[in-house]
Amino acid sequence: MTTRQLLLGIELLVLLACLVLALSVIWSKVTRLRRERRTAQSLAPVRGALIELAAGEPGGLRILRSARGKTADAIDEAAVALLAKVRGEPANQLVTVLEDHGALERAKAEVSHRSPVRRARAVQLLGLARVEDSTALISEALEDEASEVRASAAYAASYLADPWLAAPLLRSVGTGEGIPAGLAADALLEMGVEIAPVLRAAMRNPAPRTRMVAAHVAGVGTFVQALPELRELIAADPDVTVRVEAAEALGSIGQDSEVELLARHTRPDQPTDLRRACAEAMGRIGSPLAHDDLVHLLDADDPRLAEMAAESLVAIGPRGMATLDGRRDEPAAGTALVLAALRAGQR
Amino acid sequence: MTGMKGHAVAMPDGARVLIADDDPDIRDLVEFKLTQSGYAVEAVADGLAAWESFQAERPALVILDVMMPGLSGIDVLRKIRDSEHGAVPVLLLSAKSRDSDVDTGFAVGADDYVIKPFSPRELLHRVNGMLARAR
Repeated sequence: MTTRQLLLGIELLVLLACLVLALSVIWSKVTRLRRERRTAQSLAPVRGALIELAAGEPGGLRILRSARGKTADAIDEAAVALLAKVRGEPANQLVTVLEDHGALERAKAEVSHRSPVRRARAVQLLGLARVEDSTALISEALEDEASEVRASAAYAASYLADPWLAAPLLRSVGTGEGIPAGLAADALLEMGVEIAPVLRAAMRNPAPRTRMVAAHVAGVGTFVQALPELRELIAADPDVTVRVEAAEALGSIGQDSEVELLARHTRPDQPTDLRRACAEAMGRIGSPLAHDDLVHLLDADDPRLAEMAAESLVAIGPRGMATLDGRRDEPAAGTALVLAALRAGQR
Repeated sequence: MTGMKGHAVAMPDGARVLIADDDPDIRDLVEFKLTQSGYAVEAVADGLAAWESFQAERPALVILDVMMPGLSGIDVLRKIRDSEHGAVPVLLLSAKSRDSDVDTGFAVGADDYVIKPFSPRELLHRVNGMLARAR
């Protein structure tokens, strides 16, 4: 075999592989479209009743509850989608339809299905339907080997809002390809003040993402009980991201007493991101005690840090504004004054 | 719809309401709820259609999803506020639930902001109230 023949053979193989790939993509799309069309056809006779139910008019409830076979499957699929869109009594009515069709019992069984897609769907349904006795199943799902199942379980936890799920959720966010931090934080914020002890413990967890999410939630959720842990994280956490998150949280919930700690971490020997976060946090606290430290930062080598210090001087009130006014020819001070004037004009 | 004495809420009187949402379920259930309560509802699936319908129909109230293809609900709201009929009440209906999202909606000029999942009954009360205040 000549080199040319060999190259031709390779080209043909690549072409064939591309063709197979294109055909498989087309096939999967056609299959999905056909399935969607079949589902829509099965749903069509009862979709009006389902929409009315979701709008709070239960006139067609009996028809929906008594449906069986493909129609029931189509109703269940549409009802699950609607559960993510409506709340209150309409959502409760949708859940009764799913109960009557056995969808919730099937979901409980499918949490241990071998297919991760089926497990993720089952967990999602249990959450959307707020099935109270499914907390243990959701907790297990938070430790599932498949990331899509863990993410689905975090989503379910936000619907169930059971504080008991806070600890497994925080553990899960820190392991392997953890669930998205934002998703975990949103779920934790739904769980209320009862999770304060769990949050505080999570700030000592070995996983940086767990500590970061706990710090973030402490700030956004105004968990003032966590102030001691936030102070420790800023001062000594080995991960800069965690320290930055703790500084932001302290800016949200801290008071005058935190200014000294924050100011100490704006010094040049500290990481740039932490210095910036602390400068911003001092402005969010809004304490005049931060004045001198912020003025010092106007001369920082990092122009962004100087800008943030100037913005924080605006936030601390008249004394900060007067200082900026005296230095209005400097870029950071001038920009902050212009922004402050624009904001005042918008109000 | 009649309210209690001293808290009367205006009757819909066929007032025109424009709802723009790319989700057909939301469009259909809001349309059903408001139509059943006596409103004349125009439902469209994207921001551009919403803007065109607003100019042509001059609805008494507009309900906008925030995340839509083409023009977003925020884009449409900006255009409405800059238009000749910019005083029309506008309610944003969105899955975007963070404080910053809500702040943005009100900063751009929304009169109300309802987060999905939402209660259709509560939405109706808000629509009734907004129109009553606008009259």
